[in-house]
Amino acid sequence: MMRGIWTRETVALMLVAAAVPVAAAWIWEEGVTSLTRLLLTALIGGFWQAIFTIGRAQPPSVTGGISALAIAMLAPEAGPYQFALGVSFGFIFGELVYGGWGRSVLNPALVAIMFIAFSFPTAAWPQVPVQVGWAVVPAALLLLGLGIIQWRVMLGAVGVLIFLGGFGLDLLTSATVFVLIFLVCDPATSASTRWSRWAYGLLFGALVGLFASLWDASSVQIAISAALLAMLTAPLLDELSIALWRVTVRYRHG
Amino acid sequence: MPEIVITAEAGIVLEPEMKFRADAIVTVGDKVAQGQPILRDRRRPECVVTAPMTGHIAELEIGPGRRLTNLILYREDREDRHTYEVEASRKAVSDGSDSSSPRHLLQEAGLWMRLRARPFGSVPHPDSRPAALFIMAVDTQPLAPDPRGPLVGEMQEWFKLGLDALALIGSPHIYMCQDRGSDIIADERVKTIKIANLHPMGLAGFQIRHHFPARLDRQVWDVSLEDVCAIGYLLTTGHLPATRLISVADPGMRKTRLVCCQPGADLREISQAYMAPGQHSILSGSVLDGRDSRWLGYRHRQASVIKRPQRTRHVHWLEAALKRASRPMPVIATAALEHALGGMFGGMALLRALSVGDDEEAIKLDALSLLEEDLALADYVTDAEPRFATQLRTALNRIEVNT
Repeated sequence: MMRGIWTRETVALMLVAAAVPVAAAWIWEEGVTSLTRLLLTALIGGFWQAIFTIGRAQPPSVTGGISALAIAMLAPEAGPYQFALGVSFGFIFGELVYGGWGRSVLNPALVAIMFIAFSFPTAAWPQVPVQVGWAVVPAALLLLGLGIIQWRVMLGAVGVLIFLGGFGLDLLTSATVFVLIFLVCDPATSASTRWSRWAYGLLFGALVGLFASLWDASSVQIAISAALLAMLTAPLLDELSIALWRVTVRYRHG
Repeated sequence: MPEIVITAEAGIVLEPEMKFRADAIVTVGDKVAQGQPILRDRRRPECVVTAPMTGHIAELEIGPGRRLTNLILYREDREDRHTYEVEASRKAVSDGSDSSSPRHLLQEAGLWMRLRARPFGSVPHPDSRPAALFIMAVDTQPLAPDPRGPLVGEMQEWFKLGLDALALIGSPHIYMCQDRGSDIIADERVKTIKIANLHPMGLAGFQIRHHFPARLDRQVWDVSLEDVCAIGYLLTTGHLPATRLISVADPGMRKTRLVCCQPGADLREISQAYMAPGQHSILSGSVLDGRDSRWLGYRHRQASVIKRPQRTRHVHWLEAALKRASRPMPVIATAALEHALGGMFGGMALLRALSVGDDEEAIKLDALSLLEEDLALADYVTDAEPRFATQLRTALNRIEVNT
């Protein structure tokens, strides 16, 4: 018998490969402090992955690198201990206790960032340079072409964002597109049926539009909050779409 | 026309899923005629296995639980074919009156075992009628022969007769799954479904799930075009067909070979002269879900010759620790997996339900219409461990026991 290649780690490596130019653009813009921040985050994440590998024989995943990049780039600027605490919480309770990437319901980066933001509300949200937004575009095309991110989610979200932005690109900030491609479209935690993927993308776009019209907040905070709420809703959307599909099957086949 | 090869030896392999409890009708050394019954199921007398060729029984072993472990026949060059009494059945089919005599004929001649009932994929009960019958005239498995190829001349007559018999025995709903070419049959009883030549769309499971899902209280049967022709041939001549069309395919072959051979043919003999140099193993079935076997499997229409896996290299303990985890790696929903599931709605949810053993959810997602072969491509694409095909079989067995 022959064996194919689309294992979990193949997908993870492709995601990481797509994220490399984004990371490079960000480090180029922000300088050496951002690099140390990224390395520190990756070190903490890697440490917890190693602990879980040794303790529970749970295979580590290279997507930890993407989570580290997202946390380093988007987390509020709290002190180093607070930051380390947030990253640890995100990796452990966002992903590792569920069994690692592919079994968790939330993205660890989202959990870590929201943990820091809720615990230390005075910490300032960072700015995401516009070059990062542009670097996301080729990554998105690559991932779409490889079929790793779901075009329905992406199209739904981008469509709503353009519509709510008055047919302009105002809502498609660098932070929003980065969060959309690397966190919301994460194939392990996004919605899993045809209909629920549309709904999931639309929901993310609509929440970003809603928050942008209500709050006077940083675009990072808006994107992260919308992504967390949408991701929490994804299993419900799956359930609803399957229930709806069953109604149509009953109607067609009795 | 493909070459006709009757190999010198033939072996009968019955997959464990068929749950065949063998009672031997013949003993070692007996001379048998082609088509003569040689095995009968102990609990289901409608399940009969017939001799694939004229010859004698060389080896016959029945293991624990009356499972067939070894049955090998040697060919003898004499003209001797077992003749069934078909007059009454042929008359019944042409009148369209009485379905019991063709039913008995099929059960007696072992063609009943070629029918497959879903849910659970077993041989149908001798008196049952399906809610729908699917005739599969496509085979999209990689390098499988085109079942439509031999459907010329007399075969068309036999096909029509076989279809009449099945319509009489079977169901008001008959679906004909065929390629995008011209209609194989124009008949008001038959609904034609045209399928793109793209695996896995040619598997019966996907068509049944889409057009007429099987339920616990609603059986759906499927049968291949070749077996419908075999029924017609039996009704016309009183004999069972001597050969089946199979392909013996890449990558270990110098070229793909299309041959007509007896059921249970010796694949080693067929492929040996055409193999590429090197060590190979022969699988009965496709590269996706075939199993190592010298003999052609009961339902298989192809054999695959693949490179024998190299001796496992030494793995460093750290690498082994990282890879050989206590729990297997999850699969990720990518477009590749979605294609492997034929764009099935809720396919990912079904895989999740299977891997956590949630039978209720699996039933809701129409897992009852599927069998192992339907998930073989998903297993191949994702290299899943444990295989989803195995998990589906476990779930089906559990559902069958609990209902």
